[in-house]
Amino acid sequence: MKDRIALLVYLVAVVAATLVHAIPVLALAIALVMLLAWRDARKIARRALLAIVVFNLMISVSYMVIALIQDGIAWDYLVLMNLRVFLITSMTFLFVERVNPFNALAFSPSLSYLLTLAYTQLLTFRRIYHDMRLALTSRSLGRLRMKQLYRHGAASGSFFVEKALSNASESAQAMRSRGFFNDQV
Amino acid sequence: MHIPDGFLSPQTYLPLYAVAGVAWAVGMRRIRSALDERTIPLLAVVTALAFVLSMIAVPLPGGTTVHATGIGLLAILFGPWVAFMSLSLVFLMQALLFGDGGITALPLNALAMGLAGSFTGYGVYKLLHQWHAPTALFAGAATAVLLAALIVALVLGIQPLIASRADGTPLFFPFGLAITLPAVMLPHLAVAAAEGVLTVMLFRFLVRFREVRTA
Repeated sequence: MKDRIALLVYLVAVVAATLVHAIPVLALAIALVMLLAWRDARKIARRALLAIVVFNLMISVSYMVIALIQDGIAWDYLVLMNLRVFLITSMTFLFVERVNPFNALAFSPSLSYLLTLAYTQLLTFRRIYHDMRLALTSRSLGRLRMKQLYRHGAASGSFFVEKALSNASESAQAMRSRGFFNDQV
Repeated sequence: MHIPDGFLSPQTYLPLYAVAGVAWAVGMRRIRSALDERTIPLLAVVTALAFVLSMIAVPLPGGTTVHATGIGLLAILFGPWVAFMSLSLVFLMQALLFGDGGITALPLNALAMGLAGSFTGYGVYKLLHQWHAPTALFAGAATAVLLAALIVALVLGIQPLIASRADGTPLFFPFGLAITLPAVMLPHLAVAAAEGVLTVMLFRFLVRFREVRTA
């Protein structure tokens, strides 16, 4: 229940952050998020900064260049936009840090089960793909050529398609044998 | 193509959530009626597949790499509704489990890449596959990427029109269509071509796998 309320509060806070266009309010909200994060404040601020720095820098610099040529830079817009993006991203990382999303989405048993199953499959697939990349690098002398990368991408992609199909049928059988579908009726 | 939080106005993402909500309900009903018990396991593994496909690095001429989207491939292999629902779940998981992507951008990403991209890719493939299968695969995968990019560019480009101060200063994404369309579409021409090539090669591997297994 606690996680579901946290999800609701997070969603309301995200919408509120996009409805507010006052710089002091957004700055205050960031301070509040950092206060809530307490010991994790530095970690969350760092993660949020790293997550947004490339996109925001690209947009901010492009905006400055174009605005300089046209009718001058609106500095308050630049501050507002960057603060808002930082605030929402910090809120997201605080949510991810403090809340169990599987519990938060447990209002729908099917969605919760679907996400749990997808997440476990995803972790396995991600690890296998990482191992495949390492295997390719360790067996290659020098820089990989474009053709090799395409062949590797296609071969590993087709492996995952086959694995997905067999895992789907295995999971369905496992669920049936444990009476999951009987409980659903 | 992924947009972070804070660049879309509530006038954009709130109606998009309403549209996406309807599409998710229709999608779930369609898949359930076709698959029954296999719905949850298949959706779960195709979601994981969509996630891992987006990790595959596709090289572009000049030494850079981009990540595959797998939109066309998923739509052609599993049907557009399964592709749409799986891609939506990927965006949800990226936003809520990994803190990647954006919760406000989720409906746009889901509708552009998941719904429009999947149906276009699937439609183009179905239209051409009797004539020449590799061309159909290439065109299906490429058009899925291009249409998704076009929708994202259009939605980003209208932000200054629908959310700005009285003096014209933007409140969310600052650039209009004259900038977003070429800035998003030109790089995506190369991405679409790369995705098309990868999809054709991937299908060839799949056919070979199955030939070896049944031999």
